[in-house]
Amino acid sequence: MPVSRRGAVALAIWLLMLVLCAVTIVRARFSADLSAFLPRSPTPAQQAMVEQLKDGVVSRLILVGLRDAEPAALSTLNKAMAAQLRTDPLFAAINNGEPEGLEADREFVYRHRYLLSDRVTASHFEVPALRVSLEQSLELLTSEAGLMAKSLVAADPTGEVLYLVERMTGGGGPALHDGVWASRDGQYSLLLAQTRAPGFDMDAQARAISALQSAFDAVREQVGVTAAIDLVGPGVFSVQTRDTIKRDAERFAMAASLIVALMLWAVFRSMKLLALGLLPVATGVAAGVSAVAVWHGEVHGITLGFGATLIGEAVDYAIYLFLQGGARSADGSSAMRRLWPTLWLGVLTSVFGYSALFLSDFPGLAQLGVFSIAGLIGAVLVTRFVLPALLPAGFAVTGIEGIGALIYRVLGKLRGLLAPLALLTGVCVALLLMRTESLWRDDMGGLSPIPTELQNLDGRLRAELGAPDVRHLVVVTAADAEAGLRLVESVVQHLEEARAGGVIGGFDTPTRYLPSQAAQRARQAALPAPDELQGSLREAMSDLPFEPEAFDTFLGDVEQARQQQVIDRAALDGTRLALRYDSLIVQRPSRWFAMLPLNQVSDLAALDKVLKPVIGPQVNVLDLKHEIEALYRVYREEAVWMATLGAVAIVALLAVSLRSVKRALVVCAPLAMAVVLTVSMLLWRQEYLTIFHLVGLLLVVAVGSNYALFFERGLDREDQAPRTALSLLTANLTTMVGFGLLGFSSIPVLSAIGSTVGIGALLSLLCAAALAREFDSTRKSHA
Amino acid sequence: MNPWRRRHLAVSLSWLFCPSLTRAQDWNLDALMTQLASVKSARARFVEKRYFALLKRPVESMGVLHYQAPDRLEKVITKPRAERMLLEGDRLTLEADGGRRRKSLALSEMPELAALIGGLRATLAGETATLSRHFDIAFEGPAQRWQLTLSPKDRKIARLVKTLRIFGNAADLNAVEVIQGDGDRSMMMMVKDAG
Repeated sequence: MPVSRRGAVALAIWLLMLVLCAVTIVRARFSADLSAFLPRSPTPAQQAMVEQLKDGVVSRLILVGLRDAEPAALSTLNKAMAAQLRTDPLFAAINNGEPEGLEADREFVYRHRYLLSDRVTASHFEVPALRVSLEQSLELLTSEAGLMAKSLVAADPTGEVLYLVERMTGGGGPALHDGVWASRDGQYSLLLAQTRAPGFDMDAQARAISALQSAFDAVREQVGVTAAIDLVGPGVFSVQTRDTIKRDAERFAMAASLIVALMLWAVFRSMKLLALGLLPVATGVAAGVSAVAVWHGEVHGITLGFGATLIGEAVDYAIYLFLQGGARSADGSSAMRRLWPTLWLGVLTSVFGYSALFLSDFPGLAQLGVFSIAGLIGAVLVTRFVLPALLPAGFAVTGIEGIGALIYRVLGKLRGLLAPLALLTGVCVALLLMRTESLWRDDMGGLSPIPTELQNLDGRLRAELGAPDVRHLVVVTAADAEAGLRLVESVVQHLEEARAGGVIGGFDTPTRYLPSQAAQRARQAALPAPDELQGSLREAMSDLPFEPEAFDTFLGDVEQARQQQVIDRAALDGTRLALRYDSLIVQRPSRWFAMLPLNQVSDLAALDKVLKPVIGPQVNVLDLKHEIEALYRVYREEAVWMATLGAVAIVALLAVSLRSVKRALVVCAPLAMAVVLTVSMLLWRQEYLTIFHLVGLLLVVAVGSNYALFFERGLDREDQAPRTALSLLTANLTTMVGFGLLGFSSIPVLSAIGSTVGIGALLSLLCAAALAREFDSTRKSHA
Repeated sequence: MNPWRRRHLAVSLSWLFCPSLTRAQDWNLDALMTQLASVKSARARFVEKRYFALLKRPVESMGVLHYQAPDRLEKVITKPRAERMLLEGDRLTLEADGGRRRKSLALSEMPELAALIGGLRATLAGETATLSRHFDIAFEGPAQRWQLTLSPKDRKIARLVKTLRIFGNAADLNAVEVIQGDGDRSMMMMVKDAG
């Protein structure tokens, strides 16, 4: 086919752009990190917390639960698994309650007990307190457990080691069955695996998960027991989420492409037109992905999943061109020229709609906005400049007059539904206005793609293993570790008060594992000199049956503690306590954070009162659930505001382009109806909306405006009614397929947007038809 | 003289007047074990004296021992403090403070305790095979005054528990002596309690 000069230029530019896009895409990075769909955290403390949750030590823990067998069999499996996994280099530590690897911990606590224990004060070593300690030691020695406590009593008569161990295990820790951790009801045998790789390295996490699974399968066969294994933890969830996002993105993109291609084939009945029709789509997707890659640096998997919607929308332009051009045109360009104004206005309204996404404070949503804007503009430009050059002269889609006329008649019938539709809309508006409870739900739970049972299991296993549920935290900020630890110690004093008063159940603090150097020096100063201590000891021992030299080891150890160097973080290396300590602090170049998790907070107001003396710019009490909900609420309110502005902007755009406010309102009326009806349907299905439904509503306006514009212009221009009607319905159906498929995604972000727009697009078409004046004359003529 | 010593003396003296209660030549370890195995349950009052290198004086405790064949052994201490130790199969439970402090563990986890308590239990149950698996056994004495000396085979355990010596009269145990590797020892005297 002869290609005009302009056409050749257009083709050349287009191919060049495609090559650029291909290069960008090949070099782009793809991620599946859900935190892109968390609102950007405003305060540094919250930022540190999110960072810690993403790549901190806690993110490396995988909780393993073995179930569905006798407790004794589960314990055996547990021990066998642990033995096998301890030789695997993927894991930094495997803990299941067995003493393996605890020697370093015990050694650390024993060696530094007088620096670690907060009971070490001058009075602790004076006669009255010494006497009490000695009596308790005697009781321990003479009890049935005495055999095991003998050596400790000689070196540590004041019982610091036992005191420290109890504080560090939270006075309980997981229950033991046959020497390994088990849930209290015996249903689960428990293990804690710590991966060497950080939580955000999902490939390494995936390898660790499969190593755990295969170790389990191996020991199960070895021991010959049937049992089941549950794995939970941040790494597990990230990998699952990544797999879900990947699967959804692939699945929906493929399904959308397939269905849309079939539909186009059914309508065009020509492979050539089908291929040409898919060109704008392909270009649009390529343009969208490259734009995101260039702008953001990496492309999120959810954005690719969202690409399915672009397939449904970008194909509309080709549909309009192919169907509405046709028998009457000599070539594509004249058909294009007639179509262009309406098409371009439709694109502009969509772009305005997606801009609201682009301007949002969710990095993930901004990506979706960039993707869609770039994609749509790319698709429409290809339709405008490239397709006409490629279309054969005298192309026409034939044989569609019949079905087109049928569709036109059906659409016309909808005009008769105007009254009931208007009434329904009125009723819905009234119900919405009368609704007392909020339309919106702002909590995080609804946004995670992990199934609820798994989230609950995580909570339960965490509770059994004694890891506190991270909801209430005291966050302490300082310039460096020493200043921070000192500040934490002053906070801890008040927290002890709160605990004693029953305001909180307990708490964890990094100073339990590594006191500040100031505190250590104070304790060293409080330890008595050897002569003094010996004298006090002799007096305290006076009528107790201990031999005079019984505590020589103790005397030696105290003197050594007095003289030794204070300990720092390096002293913790090789112990499990190091993990505990590291999970409670965040060290940044010029900032140091400590996070003190609180257990069982029964009265936040009372807690605030107790902590009042220390609360300030450096010390804050956070309720995570509350904080995140507050964040979402703020962003949602902002989003409502932006959506309103976006809608107003679209109306203004229409008014300006159509050169009449009245015409603009005529276009907007069916959209308003569709929005009301869509909201009502969504609320009927699930009783509340999230911020992502709001995003979907804006897209309904953007997408629906295309149909409304055609109806406003009049379908029957140039006697093209059947073709135009067919093109509208086909375009509508492809859009519905693209968005509607997403409604089935297990990712809440995508399913919210998908179901909203899927329903809304269909309703827009129906409402536009119902409100279309042109059907009045048709009906009159048929009457 | 306190009641325990009196009874112990009585038992020992009674032997003097009954020289031929059993046929000496048929009495050996297997005979003892068979006789012990036939006892399905027993109850005895005990007085225990423990000697520690750390302490000037021995520590005395008193209480009741219950045995139920083949693997239930309960030690209820009444003096100086109320305490309880229960062995059921492989499970050892230590209770103090009127049940408020409780610790439960698998005996297989604590080899030293397993040697002590396990050795005593195996003797009461007449399990020769179990005993010879874990201990070197030396047996002496006639039926009314037999003496079983158990030395742990495992060297690591032997360092902590050197010898376990059990004294008895036919199917009744009279005393248990434990000598620990570091020289500390304990002596528990028992009197059968018919009640």
